[in-house]
Parts: sequence; structure tokens; C-alpha cells
Amino acid sequence: MNKLVTLLASCCFASTALASEVALEKAAVGVDVPTVERGVEAVMADCNSCHSMKYIKFRDLVALGIDKQKVDEWRGDTPLDAPLKAQMSEEDAIASYGKAPPDLSLMTKAREGGSDYVYSYLLGYYAKPDGETGNHYYPATKMPDILGMSSTEDAAQKSEIRNRARDIVSFLAWAADPHEQERKTLGYYVLGYLFVLTLLLYFVKKQVWAKLD
Amino acid sequence: MPGRIIQWVDKRFPLTSFVKHELTGYPTPRNLSYWWNFGFLAGFVLVLQVATGIFLAMHYKADIAMSFDSIQHIMRDVNYGWLLRYMHSTGASAFFLVIFIHMARTLYYGSYRKPRELLWWTGQGLLLLLMATAFMGYLLPWGQMSFWGATVITNLFRATPFFGDQIVIWLRGDYTVGDATLTRFFALHYLFPFLIIGAVVVHLVALHTVKSSNPSGIDLAHKDNIPFHPYFTAKDLYGLGLFLILYCIFVFFLPNSLIEPANNIPANPMVTPNHIVPEWYFLPFYAILRSVPSMVGGVVAMGLSVMIFAFMPYLDRSRIPGGARYRPVYRGLFYVFAIDMVILGYVGYIPPTDSSIVIGQVATLFYFVLFLLLPFISKSEERWLVKRGLPPVVQALIESEAHEIKKYQKRRGKGETA
Repeated sequence: MNKLVTLLASCCFASTALASEVALEKAAVGVDVPTVERGVEAVMADCNSCHSMKYIKFRDLVALGIDKQKVDEWRGDTPLDAPLKAQMSEEDAIASYGKAPPDLSLMTKAREGGSDYVYSYLLGYYAKPDGETGNHYYPATKMPDILGMSSTEDAAQKSEIRNRARDIVSFLAWAADPHEQERKTLGYYVLGYLFVLTLLLYFVKKQVWAKLD
Repeated sequence: MPGRIIQWVDKRFPLTSFVKHELTGYPTPRNLSYWWNFGFLAGFVLVLQVATGIFLAMHYKADIAMSFDSIQHIMRDVNYGWLLRYMHSTGASAFFLVIFIHMARTLYYGSYRKPRELLWWTGQGLLLLLMATAFMGYLLPWGQMSFWGATVITNLFRATPFFGDQIVIWLRGDYTVGDATLTRFFALHYLFPFLIIGAVVVHLVALHTVKSSNPSGIDLAHKDNIPFHPYFTAKDLYGLGLFLILYCIFVFFLPNSLIEPANNIPANPMVTPNHIVPEWYFLPFYAILRSVPSMVGGVVAMGLSVMIFAFMPYLDRSRIPGGARYRPVYRGLFYVFAIDMVILGYVGYIPPTDSSIVIGQVATLFYFVLFLLLPFISKSEERWLVKRGLPPVVQALIESEAHEIKKYQKRRGKGETA
């Protein structure tokens, strides 16, 4: 059903195709606080040195249920209401990688394929014969293989990397749409109400029109 | 006491008689199908868009340095801002869906025929206003697709003879789409809905003058009309419930399927997206634009593809009532046209390839040929149907209408001599 909806949606509604010709790996995005918390930790350790998340404030992390002490450690002496800035300045990043690292707040919404794309991209690194690393999903990327997918053959290590990528994507998905769970919960109530209301309206309509015959 | 207040008002303003004649007692054909619900639904979506839009405008900033951030502020920090914004962005699609069905119903049942030409043309004007409003609203989030869509579309006005370049600058307020463009689009995006409301009033006055068409395609005898309330209030509300279920599935569960991923990247005049696509409701027209090799030709073809509906009362020369119901050839054309629209939509959606360009050109040709051949097809179809012998139902319909007209003329004749 989900597939059908996605298929229908992608047929009927405008969206950029062309993100990549390689089929994406499905990311099992977690919405529970422990997963998202592991995700924040991974992002702060692996991504935040170069990437900012300007729409996320430290206070949002506390509100989500992340340990206050950890948040205080990350923010140091910046205020709780400050957004998550990258540790490296943009100029330094451009000097090192040739390109400004994009802000990650909306990353899972800003790419065709969403969370699946980001997940696939993080795991898509491979070692080229010349010793460089390449990426199946975004060949032109300037980002190094931060999770180390291209430098290991060990199955256990690979599965660990997969878990870490899943945690990261789960946090990024929350960051891109922090009200998603609230929205869906409310949606079930709204639809339930509408189903009952519409059913009643159907009977009203039937009864009113019955007077005509 | 309330009775006395109403009496007081009625002496000074036709409140009771207006409600009785135009709302509750408005005579409506009893044989209307559910396809006649969509005018009411369009009115409902209009109110929804205005209501959510006004609250969004309270938090939105029309400034290229702030607009993208202000949308994120609405989505994250404003209480239920995400709900307002998703209702509004989904509402745009809902509006076009409802209007397209409303138009398809008119085309299928031949509701544009005499005496409803003006009703149809005011509707055509409403479609243009709606398209303009949607287009300007799409610039406001100041994402990549907003910026590049507005750049591409305003650039089309370069095709205007003599003043092309000046008109483009006049529209944008600058040499490129920028802060001046954003601010004016916001002002106009706030103004246009009120023009639409005014045009809707004109549309309704025309409707209440000629009354609703109905599936039989002829004006029914008075006994077949029933008061709007409670019959059609009940029917419209049930239809509204069904509509809201579909709408809320998108608002709460699939809102991002209607938002281009590239529009979650702030506008960047230095980086062109891989593939610039308009919203789904503009795709068939966009495909027609791209199918014509020359820019001027493309713009003319696109404009004509939208405006050509206005000629329907003259293009369709058949007098067989009941729209496509009793007209097998016209019915076939209707479905061919619908399929052609879907093909054009698909061609407009995918990045152009050699084969898609050819498919688009064939579909564009089909689009116009269908309209241009309609006068001949409809006339010969009528002759063929009459020669073959009309089905008894149609014959009865035509006779009952002739009978009604005669009766009406007789009554009027008597009235004049008396």
C-alpha cells in the first residue's frame, strides 16, 4: 500500500527525477527517542564539525528528551537558544573541501528519495582501484567517507556502520520535520472524526431525500 | 423579538426574500448527480485558502533574506504553524483538482451551451485568476523551485512583441527575479483571492440567472426542481465530508508529496536545479509550451491551450441534449482528451528526451486538433444520430422541452393580452 501511494504520488505529482540511477536502499527510520538520541550523538561526533543545522536549537534537543548534560557538553558556553552551528568555519571548509558543506536541517526533505537517499548516500562509499573513495549515489561528492564503509570488508563492522547510518538518518528526519509524529497522531483522530461525521451526513442525506419519493 | 428585528431589516434590505430566493428556496434540478458537488467544493476550498493564508501572512516575511527562514519558523515554532502551512500548500492542489473536475463535468454534460455561455466564461476568468494566484504564491517560500519557476515563467513574457524586455522587467521589478519580485508577488498573492471572491459573486449571479444545468441537458419542467435546502445542503455536506477525508489524508500523512524536494533548498540564483518542473496542475500546459520549438509559438500555444475552452459554446454545434450521455462520438472525444491531458502531464513532468519531445508534440497536436475538428464532428454526429433515430429517452426529452417552451410562451402571450 505504502509503495502504491509513493508510486502514485511520484507519478502524479511533480518531483525531480534524476537524483541517481542506482536504486536506493530503504532506511528503516526510527522515531523512538533512544534511536534519535543515538543519532544526535553520531551527528555531533561525525557531522557537526563541518555541517551546521541552523533550524535546530540546543533547546529543541532538550525538549525532545535528550539528556540535558550531554546537550550542555555540546553547547559549551553558547546559549540554549543558539542554533547548532558547524564547528569549522565555512571559509575553512571551502579551503579544505572546495565546497561549502550544506546545512543538514532539511536534508531528508531536500533530496529526491528523502531519508532513503541520505541513508544510501552515507553507505554508498566504495574504494576505487586508484585508492580514492567514490560514491555510488553522488559521484561528485566532496565529503570524505566519514563512516568508513569503503575501508572495511568485515561483515560485523559493516552492520555496525549501517546501524550508525540509520541512527543519523533518524535524527535528520526528525530535524527536517519535528512535528511529524504529532501530525500523524492528530491525523488519525481527524480522520476518525471525519469518517463518523461523513457517515452521519450520508444518513442525513438519505433521510432528507427519502421525503421526495 | 428576533422576528421584529428581521421585520425591521426586511423593510430596509431584502434579507428574507434574498435568503428564500437565492439560498434556501433556490430551485435546483432534482436529477443532479454528485458531479454537481464540485462548484460548492471549490467555494469551500477558496474560503479555506483565504483563512489559512491570512494566518500564514501574520508570520511570513516577504524579504529574500528572511522568507525561507520565516517558513521554517512557521513550520517549527508557530503553534500549529505546520498545520496551517500544510493545509495551505495542500489546499492549492485541492483547489485545482476540484476545479478540473468541475470543468470536466461542464465539458462532459455540455453545460457551457446556450444560455450558459457567460457562466462558462466567468468560470474561465476564475481559472486564469486561480492560476495567477497559485503561481505567485509558489514564489513566496523562496526555495530553489520557487525562484527558478518564477524566472522561467516571467521570462516567457519576453515573447510579447515590441515591449517584451520591458514587460519582463516591469513584472519582476528588477532585471532578475529578486527582492522586488518577491515583495510584489506577496502583495498580489494577498490581493488576488479577493478578486477571485468578487468574480465568484459574478459567477453565482450568472448561475442564478440561468439556473443549474443538469444531466439531461435540457431545462426541466418546474415540477422537477426542488429547493436547494434541505436537499442540496444535505447532499453537498455529504460530498464535503468525502472531500475532507481525501484532503486530510494528504494534509496529515502525505503533505510533502505535494512539495518539490528542491524547494526545501533556499533559492540560489547561481545554481540551476537539474530539472525545473512546475506544480502538477500546470504540467499539461507546460508540456505544450515546451513542445513548440519556437519560444513565441510555445507561449501562444500555451495561452491558447488554456483559453480555448472559452470557445466551446461555438465549437460544439450539436443540439442533442444530455451532453456526452447520448452522443457516443463526443463521449469518445471526451475520454481521448482526458487521456491526452494525462500524457501531456507526464511529458511535462519528465526531463525532455528525444522520444518524450515527439510524444509531447503529437499530444499537443491532438489537443488542438480535437478542438478544431469539434464543429464538424459534432455536426455530423448530430446528423448521424438523427438519421439513425434518436433513442426514445432523448426524443422524449426534446419534446418535453419544446412542450415547456410552448406552455411558457402561451402563458406569456395570455399575460400580455390581459
